[in-house]
Formats: sequence, C-alpha cells, structure tokens
Amino acid sequence: MGGPVSKLTDRVALVTGASRGIGRAIAGALAAEGAAVAVNFRSGSEQAQEVVQAIAAQGGRAAAIQGDVADYEQAQAVVKRTVEELGGLHILVNNAGIAKDALIYNMQPDDWLDVMRINFGGVFNCTKAALSTFMPQRDGVIVNISSVMGERGWTGESNYAASKGAVNAFTRCCAVEFARFGIRVNAVLPGFAPTDLVAGLMDKDGGKGVRKQIPLKSFATVEEVARSAVFLTGPDASYITGALLTVDGGSAAQLGMGKSL
Amino acid sequence: MADVDGAVREAVIEALALDDDEVTPDSTLMDDLGAESIDLLDILFRIEKSTGVKIEAADLGDYIQGGIPDEEFSDENEIITEKGAEQLHKVMPQTDPSQLAGTLAADEVIKLFTVQNLTEMVKLRADGVAA
Repeated sequence: MGGPVSKLTDRVALVTGASRGIGRAIAGALAAEGAAVAVNFRSGSEQAQEVVQAIAAQGGRAAAIQGDVADYEQAQAVVKRTVEELGGLHILVNNAGIAKDALIYNMQPDDWLDVMRINFGGVFNCTKAALSTFMPQRDGVIVNISSVMGERGWTGESNYAASKGAVNAFTRCCAVEFARFGIRVNAVLPGFAPTDLVAGLMDKDGGKGVRKQIPLKSFATVEEVARSAVFLTGPDASYITGALLTVDGGSAAQLGMGKSL
Repeated sequence: MADVDGAVREAVIEALALDDDEVTPDSTLMDDLGAESIDLLDILFRIEKSTGVKIEAADLGDYIQGGIPDEEFSDENEIITEKGAEQLHKVMPQTDPSQLAGTLAADEVIKLFTVQNLTEMVKLRADGVAA
C-alpha cells in the first residue's frame, strides 16, 4: 500500500487572517494536502512569513499576501495577487475575524459596526472577489469560519454572535446561488479553541469555567478545527454545500449541564 | 471559430436544464425558455468556457442599444422610439420596427432576445467586432 494521497494537489487556496490561530492551522493543513496557500494577513507580517516558511520547509508552496479584507478594494487586490503569485485560485477560506466583547448595556455602535464590518464584511468582500475566478472556471470551494456563537447565545458576545449569524445565513444563500456554477460553500462553526480571539474568556481562571460547560470537557485544538475546514474543501465533501458544521465538543447540542444521574 | 452555434445552444440547454428539442434558434431566452438573470449569467459563463468569448451580462443591454443614447433610444415614458426600433431590428432581425416603435417598453426589449441573436453576438465578439 502506498502512503497517504494528497487530496488538494494542484489546488490553490487563499486563507484570510492566516498569520495566527485557526487560520494559521488551516493554512498548514491545506498545504499538507498539497495545496499552494496564500497566507493573508492584515498586520502580522512576521507571523505570516513564519507560516509561509513552515509550509516551504515541508516542501509546499505558499505566499504571504497583505490586505485588510474588510476593505472591498483590498479584498479584490488580495485575490488578484493570489492568482498572480500562485497561478490561480480554487479554495477560499474566509477566516479573518475579530471580537469586541461587551454587555449590550455597555456596547457602543462602533463595537458592533466594527465586528460586523470585519467578520461579515470580510466574508462578503472576499467571496465577491473570488467569484470572478470561480464562476468562469466553474470550480470553486468556499469555507467560512463562523462560530457556534452564530447559532446560540452567550453573554457579552452579541455583536460577535450577530456577525457570525450573518455569515451562516450568507453561507446558505451563497451555496444556493453558486451551486450551478460548480461552487460549493460551507461553514465551520468552532466552539471554544484557545486562540488570541478568545483570550479574554480564558483570562480569569484559565478557561476552567468555560471548559466545565463543554460536554467533551476540553477546548478544541486549532488543528481539530482546521481538519474539518480542510475536509470541506476537498473531494470527500463533493456533495456537501450549504452546510454549517459545528466543531464544538457538543456545546450547541446541550440545553444545560443537567443533574448528574 | 468552430461551431459557435453549437456552443451557444449547448450552453442554453445545460444552463436551463432543457431537452434538446426545446431549444430552437428562434426561441426567446426569457419568454420562451424561461431564463432569469441568474440563468443568463450561467449561459454567458458557459459560453466563455467553451468558446473563450467573454460577455458580461451588462454587455447584452449595451449591444442591443448599440451606443444610442438613452434619450434617443426610448422616450420620456421609457417607450422605444423609431430610432430605437431601427436599432433593435439590426441586432434582432426577427423584429418589425413598425410594430415596436411607440409601443414597446425599454425594459421589455431583452425579452425579445433569441438564441440566434445571442449566437450572432458571440460570433461578432469572437471576430473582434465591437459587440
């Protein structure tokens, strides 16, 4: 028997916000499957270069591509540069996102506008930008990194939750509109994974309070989230589109802790 | 360019999921064949893939209007003028200008566009003629 077969050979992927966290893990996992990867970053140039070098060290191809995907023109430029530098585009992973946690009572308009502009706006901008390549070639895969918060409530996360709910709804509509053009669109909804984005939730007690509430009693690793995202980009998910895949240790399935029997 | 007629016909059949015998050169894309805006996009992308000829959806309107300014193409009530009707006859020879001038609404023009009209447009573009 031969070794594992790379499932994304000759494919080119763009991962937004790939200089750290889940995006970084996805970039590495895509490269491990044979894809050439555009590592988009907004300000983490050094970290993005580390991701590129790590991929190259394993024999893969990658390029660091700067751009703020919340800006429509910059998103267009990021996609254009990906096509120019890596020779095409087949996979778009919309991962870039921020959080600005606050009680609604304390929240200011900018707190939700900024989060919506980046978390949903970035998805919209990059999706639009990718269409000019995906539609003519009748081939494309989009994976939106959303959140289980887009489907369930959590105190202090209303702006983030609303932005991810928007991503989820957008994912479904994209799947329906683009299917006839050979483009699949799905979302991964991670639960809690210890990244910079959720550092605030872990501050007080190292995350113990949150972890107790998760059925699997552990946080996701970024690699676990990445594997689900990469699955959705590849041939094993060829009939999956419009799906929202929760990777949350059972959080969204749980009504409450219940009483131990 | 080899078989533009076949490429356009195939694109229409595939995009609209029609049977072979449902599509004739005289079929209007929207009225006879039921194409909507997303279908037109699909047809045009398929044509681009099979022939290399790129036509944007917005190009259809420009091609039909032939560079005639809006205010000369239709009147203040958005009804096609004589000049507009003459232009329509150029790109859609099956139309009768005397029947259209003064009666046809500008936003109904696209409904007259047939498979054959689209084929001619693709051929012109392929030959490098402004279309």
